[in-house]
Amino acid sequence: MTPETDQILNLSAMKLITEFAPALGTQYGQGMAQVVAVLLFMAGQDVERGAAIRVAENADMRTLFGALAPQMADEILRKELETAARSPEGALTISALNTVNARLRRLLIRLHAALDDSGADATAVWTVLKAMAARRTVTLPAL
Amino acid sequence: MSEDIVPRLESYLARVLAQPDLEVSALARIPGGASRETYRFRIRYGGGGAQTERGLILRRDPPASLIETERATEYRAYQAFHALGLPVPEPIALEESGDFLGRPFFIMEEIENCQVGNILASNPYGDHRDQIGQQFFGALGRIAQADVDAIGLGDLDGTRDPARCWSHELERWQKVIEEDETEPQPIVHAGLRWLRRNPPPPAQRISVVHGDYRTGNFLFDAKGDIRAILDWEMTHLGDPLEDLAWALDPLWSHGDPSRPAGTIARPQALAIWEKESGIRLDTAALAWWEIFASLKGCAIWMSAAREYAQGRNTDPVNAFSGWYCLAFHNNVLAERLGAA
Repeated sequence: MTPETDQILNLSAMKLITEFAPALGTQYGQGMAQVVAVLLFMAGQDVERGAAIRVAENADMRTLFGALAPQMADEILRKELETAARSPEGALTISALNTVNARLRRLLIRLHAALDDSGADATAVWTVLKAMAARRTVTLPAL
Repeated sequence: MSEDIVPRLESYLARVLAQPDLEVSALARIPGGASRETYRFRIRYGGGGAQTERGLILRRDPPASLIETERATEYRAYQAFHALGLPVPEPIALEESGDFLGRPFFIMEEIENCQVGNILASNPYGDHRDQIGQQFFGALGRIAQADVDAIGLGDLDGTRDPARCWSHELERWQKVIEEDETEPQPIVHAGLRWLRRNPPPPAQRISVVHGDYRTGNFLFDAKGDIRAILDWEMTHLGDPLEDLAWALDPLWSHGDPSRPAGTIARPQALAIWEKESGIRLDTAALAWWEIFASLKGCAIWMSAAREYAQGRNTDPVNAFSGWYCLAFHNNVLAERLGAA
């Protein structure tokens, strides 16, 4: 598509902030229009990178599960980790990626809690968590 | 829609202020956060003699609130700290029924010709940065220093047991997280476990904790003076380090965490707070409360995300909080705990 979706959202955000919001008659309307403009900008970023973030996050969790599963004393958890580590990504729509992501995240919470409870080294988990958080951080233009 | 409430507001205030000829004008909604609807208006009365005119602020409950807060508690905090001489608007009236404006509300003095610092601005205070920082951390020290019984707030929610301040707050926010977690948050769960395994020392003093003391919740004027500390809706009793840690949080640092609240250098901020509060800072305890602050932030933003996603409160501020702020605090928490 020309123009691209992220460009439309970013340019609409700029128009809203610089032209449309100041033309609104009330302070409330101007304030809310500015917040909506920021949301459009964030949506523009997510259109471009949203699927890539989720695919990378899911891949990181699968790799982690495969590496740590053999250490798990809990047989049920170990098998779930092994199964998840081998699971395919499936559809690449945001909603499908989110469904898989939520399932993997729930397993990651259980894995991390098990490591904490046993006093085992969780450095590898923290490496993945820090990467997940950093990827999802939103960068906004200076106002 | 705002105009619909003018006659009802007029009749309510005429009765409360015993001014039968009171008139309300210039009612307009203004931005004021997602937890209450905020309106500015003017009143005029005293037609037979000396006429009085002043600006007031109405804070009305929305159909669904971002966090469950006690408006009566907020109103009492305004009363107590206004009387103590802190820059706090004078509270005028509290109405806890929905009989007059459809929902509960309270009314307070409007502090005119002031502005709020935008949390996304790189330098919201310009040349007044240092002055505002000194006043900001000084006022927070004075809140911590206030005797909770002497100012009539000794019965607020929270705990008076110094050893339980941390667990009381952690349990409170853990409950919020459990109720509002719409997508699994592994960093938040790790944070809960870490905070429970590494408790801080008991509070040195039980103070009034504002609960949301930060950039965006105070008004300053063109001379660089803080004129109003606002949004006391999460006020409770507890460890004053909770407020200090929240005020120091990187989310409010305008891109430079070495200058908390986008104002003065951190060591200077801490020195001012120590002097005004009379509390000698325990850095290990503060470190715990700073990690807690990130977790509390995540809990608040998760609530905002849920309210928005489920359509109960579609204020765009909730979408922003549930997206940008949650991602920000998740990152802060991961960096802090991953190094701990």
